[in-house]
Amino acid sequence: MFCRQHVAQLRAHEATFRAAGALLAAVGLGDRRYAQAFRGESGVGFPLLVDERREAYRAAGLGTASPLDVARPSILAAGFRALRAGHRPHRIGEHPMQLGGSFVFGTGGTELFAQVSRDFADNASPAALLAALRA
Amino acid sequence: MPSPRTAALAPIELVDSDGRTVRLGALWQSGPAVLVFLRHYG
Repeated sequence: MFCRQHVAQLRAHEATFRAAGALLAAVGLGDRRYAQAFRGESGVGFPLLVDERREAYRAAGLGTASPLDVARPSILAAGFRALRAGHRPHRIGEHPMQLGGSFVFGTGGTELFAQVSRDFADNASPAALLAALRA
Repeated sequence: MPSPRTAALAPIELVDSDGRTVRLGALWQSGPAVLVFLRHYG
């Protein structure tokens, strides 16, 4: 449900990213069938890439959570907020402990912004990503 | 100048939801890119 909440935030700012001259893309686990279903359900217009082998996750330096992290009060509270906002959990893939991250890369591959998620609810806001693009 | 992270990511090829192969480095080759790693498409 944190993924859906994050994607809903990105989707709401999709045109703003485009206006800032940036290409927005998401990487997710699972297979292409999952990504197709996710696109249909979420209505996003930006590319959804599938990393079944977690090759890009490793290259980006993204970590995994401990099963104990699921029960942390901050995660439970964030989960409750996401549920209240209407974001329901759906399918959980093969690697449920994989954490995400958000990056802004400049032309040619300079790194303008990096947020490596520390827990399931630790996602960069669209405002932070746009600020990095405009800096 | 590419960062160590973009250098590691650039040659990786992934497929998109329509089955097209995308080389990650192509995303920022001619303009800035925002790349968001979700946990899963679920």
